[in-house]
Amino acid sequence: MTEILRIQGLTRTFGGLVAVNEVSFSVNEGEIFGLIGPNGAGKTTLFNLITGLTPVTSGRQFYKERETTRMKPHEIAALGVARTFQNIRLFGGLTALENVMIAQHLHTHAGVISGVLGTAATRAEERRVRETSMTLLEKINLADRFDQQARSFAYGDQRRLEIARALALQPRLLLLDEPGAGMNPNEKAELSDFCRRIRDEFDLTIVLIEHNVPMVMGLCHRIAVLNFGMLIAIGEPEKVKNDPTVIEAYLGD
Amino acid sequence: MEGFIATYGFLIVTMTLQAMLALSLYLPLMAGQLSLATPGFYALGGFVAAVMSKNIFVVANGELYPLPVVFVEMAVAAVLCAGVALLVGLPALRLRGIYLALATIAFVEVVRVVALNLPITGQAVGIFGIPQPFRSSFDYLIVSLPMLLLSIFFVYRLERSRVGRAFAALREDELAAAAMGVSPTRYKVLAFVMGAVLAGMVGALNAHLLNTWNTRQGTFDAAILILAYVIIGGSRTFLGPVLGAMLLSALPEVLRAAAGLPGLAPFIAQLLTDGRLILYGLLIALGTLFFPQGLITPDLFRRRRARRKAAPAAPVEAA
Amino acid sequence: MNTTLFLQQMINGVSLGMVYAIFALGYTLVFSILGIINFAHSAVFTIGAYFTYALMGLAWGFNGLLAQQKLPLELPFVAALLLGGVLAGLLAVALERLAFKPLRERSADPLLTLVSSLGLAVALVNIIQFLVGAEAYSYPSQRVLSGLPPSINLATAEAPLIIPTVRVIIIIASLVILALLVLLINATKVGKAMRAVAEDTTTASLLGINTDRIILFTFFLSGLVGGIAGTLVGLSVTITGPYFGISFGLKGLAVIVLGGLGNIPGAVVGGLVIGIAETFAPSSLKDAVAFVILFLILLARPQGLLGKAIIQKV
Repeated sequence: MTEILRIQGLTRTFGGLVAVNEVSFSVNEGEIFGLIGPNGAGKTTLFNLITGLTPVTSGRQFYKERETTRMKPHEIAALGVARTFQNIRLFGGLTALENVMIAQHLHTHAGVISGVLGTAATRAEERRVRETSMTLLEKINLADRFDQQARSFAYGDQRRLEIARALALQPRLLLLDEPGAGMNPNEKAELSDFCRRIRDEFDLTIVLIEHNVPMVMGLCHRIAVLNFGMLIAIGEPEKVKNDPTVIEAYLGD
Repeated sequence: MEGFIATYGFLIVTMTLQAMLALSLYLPLMAGQLSLATPGFYALGGFVAAVMSKNIFVVANGELYPLPVVFVEMAVAAVLCAGVALLVGLPALRLRGIYLALATIAFVEVVRVVALNLPITGQAVGIFGIPQPFRSSFDYLIVSLPMLLLSIFFVYRLERSRVGRAFAALREDELAAAAMGVSPTRYKVLAFVMGAVLAGMVGALNAHLLNTWNTRQGTFDAAILILAYVIIGGSRTFLGPVLGAMLLSALPEVLRAAAGLPGLAPFIAQLLTDGRLILYGLLIALGTLFFPQGLITPDLFRRRRARRKAAPAAPVEAA
Repeated sequence: MNTTLFLQQMINGVSLGMVYAIFALGYTLVFSILGIINFAHSAVFTIGAYFTYALMGLAWGFNGLLAQQKLPLELPFVAALLLGGVLAGLLAVALERLAFKPLRERSADPLLTLVSSLGLAVALVNIIQFLVGAEAYSYPSQRVLSGLPPSINLATAEAPLIIPTVRVIIIIASLVILALLVLLINATKVGKAMRAVAEDTTTASLLGINTDRIILFTFFLSGLVGGIAGTLVGLSVTITGPYFGISFGLKGLAVIVLGGLGNIPGAVVGGLVIGIAETFAPSSLKDAVAFVILFLILLARPQGLLGKAIIQKV
C-alpha cells in the first residue's frame, strides 16, 4: 500500500477562527477515501488546503512524497491532483466541451504564436484534445450537448460535467466535494457506481466529501471524520460507524 | 473622391488606430482584467517615436521620413512597452477588480507626470515637428489598415486557441482555472503585455500622424474614450471593441456636420461640436445600465450557429 | 530647510491634507455602506466649488454658454459655502437614484459601478466646461475674510512666520466638519443606522432600518462634504478649471486606498500623509506623489494602513 497523500498537523486559522485543527492522516493509492462530518466541520477547507486554494497556517502536506504545503493551485494540479467544488464552479459562459478542454491545458503545449498561426502540430494537438474531451463527455452522457453553455445545464448534469472536467486533467488523485448534493437516491446509487468505475478505468485514488452516510459507508474503503476542524475518527466504515465520538458528533445532525 | 479623401482621410486613419487601442484594452479583458493602462503605453510608444525621429534619425525639414525607420520605432516601442508591462504587471496583476483598475490608473498618472518633467520628452510643451513618412494623412492607411487587420486576425485566432481558452477560463473563474492547471499570473501578465505592446505600437505611428506628441495624449480622458469603445461596442467578442471604436471616433464628425445644419439653436450647435466627452461619459454610464456586455454579444453569434449544427468531428467554434 | 520654512510647509501640508481627508470622506462614506467607489464624487466636489462661486453673485468669464452671467443674488461666503454644499449633496442624491440604484438592484459588480461613475464624472465636468468655460475662478478674498487680516504673523527669533488666514480657515473648517461627521456617526440615531447598514445591509433592514433612506442620506452627506471640500480647495488655490476636480478625485483614490477603503480614520490619516508628502516633494514631482504611493500601497498592503486584510471566500 503506497501513500499518495499525507497531511501532517494541518491547521488553518483566520481571524480568531480555527477552521482546521492539527489534522493528520494519509490516503493510500487506489483507495476510495471518505471525509465526513457535520456542517462546518472544516471538510471543504481541508480540500482547499490540499489543493493550494487556501494557504496553510501550520503543518505540512505531501503528495506522493513531494511537499505541497506552499505550492500554488496550478502547481498542485500539475502534479496530478484534480477536484470538484461544493458550490459548482464550472466556467458558466463556456460550452461543456470548452470546460473539459481547458482542463487539458497542462497536457498541451501550444503557445501564442503557434496557436495564432495554426501550425500542423498545433492543429493536431487541438484535434486530439477535442476527441479526448468528447470521449469524456460521452462517458457522462452529455456529448449531444457539447456546445451548450455550461450554465444552462440542469444541476445534476452540471455536477457530472464538473467531474468530467476534473477527469480531463488526467489526475492520479481526485477530490470530490459533495458530488451527490442535490441528487435523488437513484442518482446517488449511480454516482457510487460511477466512482467505482472511474477509479478502475482511470487508475485513480478518490477522496470524497459526502453528507449521505449510507452512500459513504457502501462506497469507501476508509473514512475520516472531522468535527470542529479536528479529526475525531479514522478507519474502515464499520469501525467508524460504531465509534462513540462519531455517534455523539452526529447526534444533533 | 479626392475631396472626400482630403477631408476624411485623417478621420479614417484615426478610426483604425482607435480600433487598435480598443483591442489593446480588450486583450487583458479576455483574461478578466479591467486594466486602464492603455493610455500609459500609448503615450510611451508615441514618445519613443517622437524622441527617435527627432534625435536619432533626423531628416531635413519637408523631407519624408523613411517608412522602414517607422517600423523600427514601432519595434522599439513594442519592446519598451513589453518591458514596462512586465515590470508593472507582475506585481500589479496579483490585484483584482477595483484594486487592479486603480493600480493601472496610478500607473498612467505616474507616466504622465514623469513625461511632464523629463527634458527628453519636452516637458509641458512636448515634442514638436515630428517628421512624417507620408505626404497625406490618408496614406497612413497603408500601414494602419494592415496593422488593424493583423491585430483582428491575431485576436480572432487567439480566442480559438489554447491560450485563448486559458484566458476565457480565467475570466470566468480565476480560482477554478488555477485548480485546472492554468497559472493565473502567467496568463494575466501575458494578456497585459500583449495589450501594452499593441498600444505602444499604435502610439508610435500616431505620433507621426499627429506631428506633435505631449502628455495630453495619454491621459485619463483617453482611458474614458477607450472604455466607451469597449463598453458600447461590446466586451465579450473582439468585434465589439473594433466596431465601437470606429463608430464612436467617427461620431464627433457626424455631430459636427449636424451642428452645421441650419435652424439649430447656437448652443446646441456648440454642444454638438465640443461635447464629445460629455457624450462618451454619458454613453459609458448608460452602457453599464443597459448593455453591460455591450452591443455586440456572443449570443448574437450563437443564435446564428444554432441553425447549423456542427458534427463533433468538424472544427467547433469557441465563442 | 530652516525651522520657519519647515513650519510654514508643515502648515501648508496639514491644510492640504485636511482637505484631501474631507474630500476622501465622501468616497469613504459611500464605500462603507455600498462597497462601491463613486468616482462621480470628484465631479460633485467640483460643482460644489462652482455653486459657491455662483451663489456669491460672481459672474462667469467669457467662455461657455453662461458667459458673463451671474445670479441675481449675493450671499456672504459662509452662506454660499453651505448652500453650495447642500446643492452638491442633492446632486449626489440624484446621481445615486439615476445611475447607481439601478445597478445595485441588478447586483452589478462594483467594478461596473466604478466604470459608470468614471463616465459620469467626465460627462459632468465637461458639462461645467460647456457652461462656464475652462478658465480660472477665485473667490474674492475680502468677501471671504470679511474683516479678518489676510495673514497671521507669528514672529520668531529667526524670521516672522506668516500664515495666510485662508489656510487657518481651511484647517479649522475641516476639523469642524470632521468633528461633526464623527459625532453624527457615533452619537446619533441616524449614525447608528448608517453603521448598521455599513455592517450588513440585510440585517439592518431586518432590524427595521429603512436602508434605502439611509443610502440616500449617506450620498447627500458625501455630496455635502465633497461640495464644501471643493470650495475650500478653490479657496486655497483658486478654481483652475473644471478638471481640477478630476485630478483631485484621482488623488482622493490614493487617499482612501492608503487609509483603507471604507475606513473613516483611515481617510484622515491617508489625507494627511499624502497632503504633507505632496507639500514637501519637489515641485516637478508633486503630482506623482499620490500615485506612486497608491501604486506602492496596492502592492504592499492593499487593505491600506488601517484596513483589515481582505480574505477571499473560496
